[in-house]
This record gives sequence, structure tokens and C-alpha cells, in this order.
Amino acid sequence: MTTSTGPRASTRSDRIGAIVLLVLALLYGLEASRIAYSFSSDPLGPRVFPLALAGLLALLSLIYLMRPSGAESWPRGRLLAASLAIPALVLAAALLLEPLGFAIAITVMVVGVGRIFGASWRAALIGGVAQAALWFVIFRYLLDVYLPGGSLLGL
Amino acid sequence: MDLSYLWTGFAVALTPTNLLIGFIGCFLGTLIGALPAIGPINGIALLLPIAYTLGLPAESTMILLAAIYSGAEYGGRISSILLNVPGDAGAVMTALDGNPLARQGRAGEALMISGLSSFVGGIIGVIGLTFFAPMLSGLAIGFGPAEYFVLMIFAFATLGSMVGDQPVKTLIGCVIGLMLATVGLDATSGAYRFTFNEPELGDGIEFVVLVIGLFSISEAMLMLEHQASGGSIIKVTGRTLARWADIVFCTGATLRGSIIGFVVGVLPGTGASVSSAVSYTTEKRISDREGTFGKGDMRGLASPEAANNSTAMGAFVPMLTLGVPGSGTTAVMLGALMLYNIQPGPQLFTERPELVGGLIASLYVGNVLLLILNLPFVGIFSRVLLLPNWILVPGILVLSVVGVYSTHASVLAILMMLGIGVVGWLLRKLGFDMAPIILGFVLGRVMEVNLRNALAISGGEIGILFSSTISIVLWIMAIAIAVLPYLISRRAKARAARAQAELQGRASQAG
Repeated sequence: MTTSTGPRASTRSDRIGAIVLLVLALLYGLEASRIAYSFSSDPLGPRVFPLALAGLLALLSLIYLMRPSGAESWPRGRLLAASLAIPALVLAAALLLEPLGFAIAITVMVVGVGRIFGASWRAALIGGVAQAALWFVIFRYLLDVYLPGGSLLGL
Repeated sequence: MDLSYLWTGFAVALTPTNLLIGFIGCFLGTLIGALPAIGPINGIALLLPIAYTLGLPAESTMILLAAIYSGAEYGGRISSILLNVPGDAGAVMTALDGNPLARQGRAGEALMISGLSSFVGGIIGVIGLTFFAPMLSGLAIGFGPAEYFVLMIFAFATLGSMVGDQPVKTLIGCVIGLMLATVGLDATSGAYRFTFNEPELGDGIEFVVLVIGLFSISEAMLMLEHQASGGSIIKVTGRTLARWADIVFCTGATLRGSIIGFVVGVLPGTGASVSSAVSYTTEKRISDREGTFGKGDMRGLASPEAANNSTAMGAFVPMLTLGVPGSGTTAVMLGALMLYNIQPGPQLFTERPELVGGLIASLYVGNVLLLILNLPFVGIFSRVLLLPNWILVPGILVLSVVGVYSTHASVLAILMMLGIGVVGWLLRKLGFDMAPIILGFVLGRVMEVNLRNALAISGGEIGILFSSTISIVLWIMAIAIAVLPYLISRRAKARAARAQAELQGRASQAG
């Protein structure tokens, strides 16, 4: 199921991760040094704590860079595409939520994610409509949560 | 000792509404625990926004979340035993002996023994909590800002040394959490920090958005890779009642597990995954004379199960008395308290006895309810193992989207949750744990404010951090706990090297 990429490749991803964290520490530190303020009632001010955190993260990511562990394997090919399709479908639901309403947005997401997790079209479609209806009843009537009806549909 | 807070608490916990909420929490918790891959922390993250939007009072929300937490520690054993897939991190050890027992046709007995030891662990844990919490909160009244700051340092030192096998990654996680907490308006100076002129970020990163992103989006993505790799569910056949002799046989293991679990629970940040591992290996060292551990020894099942339930209770001690969570899950609960603008700390005991007492009393009630749910009705919960991922995962995502949308009524919050979720997935693929990030985030503001207050008191003199006995003791404890595992592993390595050399010496003599 999981595709192992070998020890060398996974220490590489550790190293990339460590470098990204290091860059992040530097950017965060830079932004921290530019925090604008005119007065603070304490001797430390709003900059010092973030700057210390930046230094700490830089130090820790250097240690991480020097001692990579290389434990994880990354999904490849279809599995990677399927992994990324999950947040993409949630994104679609988020964007459709207000214009088309809860029912349609959620059905699209549930059907799509169901297909990714191996449901047949038939099962995914039935599951999608059923879950959208079930959750609608639970949220709207049992828990009294506001759900958008869909502005484009005039609901 | 003054236990009047507990009697106030029972009056709160036994109101019909709170009893019902507690029951729902226990039921949902066991269900969540039984589902493979979804543990207490995911469950609480998912249900927190719903509890919040329902407009429940703070003590009812806490009762609900605490019931889910304890329920999940009970339910985790079901999938460990029947499916050999741990229901959550605290139930990994349960699978070691639990699944072999099930394969020998003793699944029913294994479920009952583990249910009983869960109960014993839970009850010993709550009793410990009842007595330790007021003691510790009495002690903590002497804490000033400097002591609080050092306490946070101690919490992170414990986390770095106890959680996970890679301290660097745990500590990086903490720092990321602390950094995320600095986003937003700085109350002391009125400065906006890291907001990039986005009004949405003025109040900082929303807790619900962060927790759901980290725990549910990334989990959904990981579940795809870890999908049912050949495991099969074992049907419960044969005896469902454990033999009395087995119960007696496990008593020692259960009691030891409960005590280890409670102690680990009280330590800041270290949850059930640590305590069940420690108690299992300890029990193996003490009682495994015939080499039966790992092949279906009841004691290897009882010990970690007692420990993980006791840990969940112990984790409330530092959370309620010091405002430092005792586990990843209590970190989420601490964040939930902050949503209600309740600042945890020793004053919580005197100012909100109905909340603290209600929560603790509900744990007594909850453990009894859970015993009933988990012994005769265990069959109902084992049914959830049949739920396919193509129904479960979309369901989790619906809860996430609606949860975030309902607390903020903004699509932007969902987009932020997604961004955080994908970053969380990348970090988890690199072997990072999400709990330290939440701990850092929850403690970040308090840590900085206390540091700055301490230095304001001393006029910028850093010596204030080392001036009182309490701070010095905390510093020593922090250093000790950070260095200890390193020394132990060096000694173990040296011993292993000696043994290796001896073996080679013998081999060369023989040859």
C-alpha cells in the first residue's frame, strides 16, 4: 500500500523540512524585529519573546538538519494525487457552501471523498445524499446550527 | 482536607441536564475510541465547536468533553483487541496481548478484563485527582509570574524528554505552537504582531480552526495511506464472562498500571501513549517469567488499559490547578476553557468551584456509566468497526467544515483550517506529533505574559527567574527530566555494547 522510497530519499525530505523550518525561523525573526510599537508598560516589549522563539527554532532546526531521522515514506503517484484530492474537495465544499448552499456543497464533498476511499459510484452517490440529509437534520433541527441555504438558489 | 468543592460538584454533575450530557459524552467517547485511528483528541477537536455553538455553560461543556475523553480511553481497547488496530495512541500496547487473546477465541474475556481494569484505573485516577488537585492548587497560590514562567519551561522539558522518540521534533512542535500564539494584538503594548494588516488575524489564530485543521484534515489524509491493510475483525465467540481466577490474576498488574498511569498523567504534557508504554514494559519486567507477554497474557492487557484510563484522570490535575495541560487532550480542553474567557490557574479552585467540582464529580459518574456501557453493551460498540472509511472519513470532514463555519460564520476560516491541515499533514509525514503544537499554542500567551510581568516587577532584572525556592526547584526538575533519559539511554547503550563484546569474545573462543 505505502510506497517506500528508501532511506536516502527520506533523509532528504527531513533535510528539506529542516531547511524550510530554518527559513521560517529567519522570516519570523525578521518580521518580529519590525514589530511597530510606541510604548510598552514592561521592560521587555513585544519584540523580545518572538525574537527568542525565532532563535530557538533556528537552533532546533539546525540540530534537526544535522541529525535527520528518515522514518517516513511519502505517497507517490495515484496515492499522492488521492491524498491531495481530499483537501481539494474540502476546498470545493468551502467555496460552494455560500453560493449553492449546504446540501449541494456537502453532497459534492461526500461523494468525492467516498470515491477516493474506494466506494463504487452507486454507493458514493447514495452515501453522499444520505449524509447530506442526515447532517442537515442533525445540525439544523437537533443542534440548531445555522447552515447556508445557498444565495444563488435564493434560499 | 477540605473536600467541600466535591460536594458542590456532585450537585452540578447530578442535575438531569448534566447527567444526560455526561451520558451522551460517554457514549460518543466510547464510539470515537472504538473507531480505528480516531482518538480522544480528534473527537474532542471535532465536537468542541458544536458544544460551543450550542451555547452550553462552561461546566456542561467541560463535562461533555471530559466524558468523551474518558470514554475514548475505554473504547480504544475494542479495536485493539478485535482488529489489532489501536483505536488511539493510548491503546497501542493493548493490542500486544489483546489481539493474540482474541485470536485464541478469548475475545469476550479479553474485553471484560480490559473493561474492568479500565474502570479500576479510572476510579483510582479520579480519587487521586480529588485529593491531589486541592493540594497542588494550595501550593500554587505561592506562584508569582516568575514561578509560572519557569513552570512552563518545566512543562516543555517534560514534553521534550517523555513524548516521542525524537525530542528535537517534539520541541520544534512546541516552538511552532508558541509562535502561532504570538499572532495578533499584544495586549501589553497595543502592537499588532504578525497580522500582515489582515483584520481577521487581529484577535490571533482561532483555536477551533487550528485544532480542527491539525487533527482532522491531516488525519483524513493519513487514513487514506493507512487504510485497512489486511486486518480482519475477530468475532466475539465463546465465553464473554471472564473467569474469577483471571480477574484475581490481573489485580496486581491493574493496580500497578493505575498508579504508573496517574503519575505519568500528572506530569505536564505526557498522555496515555507514554503511560501505557511505561506500564506495559514495567509489568513485563516484573511478571513475565514464562515469556507469555505478547502472546496473549491477561496481565499484559490489564496493565496498559488501567494505565491509560488513570492517565486521563491524572492529566486533569495540572490542567485544573496550574493551567498546564497534563496531556494533548487536556490541552485542547484548556483551549476550550479559554474560549469561555476562563483563565485556568490556582484561582480556578476558589473562584469556580462549581466548574472544577462539577468536572471531577462527573468523572466519578462517568466511570460508572462507562463500566456499564463497556461490559454488557460492548457488542454495540464493536459494530462500529464495520463502518467503512468511505462513510467515516466524509463524515469527519462534514463535522470539521460545519464546526469551523458555525463558530465563525466565515468561509475564510474554513480556508485557514485547510491550509493548517495540509501543513499539519506534511509535518506528520516528517514524523512530527501534533499535540506539542497545541500545547505550545495554549501556553504561549500565558508564558510570555508571565515572563514580561516578572521582568516588570524586577525592573528588567533577569535574576527574578531564579530568586525563589519554588523557581529553583522547578529549574532543577526541568534540567533533571531533560537530562535523565539521555543518561539512561547512554548507560543502556554501554551495557548493550559490553554484552555484544562479550558475545563476540565467546564466539571467537568457541571458533
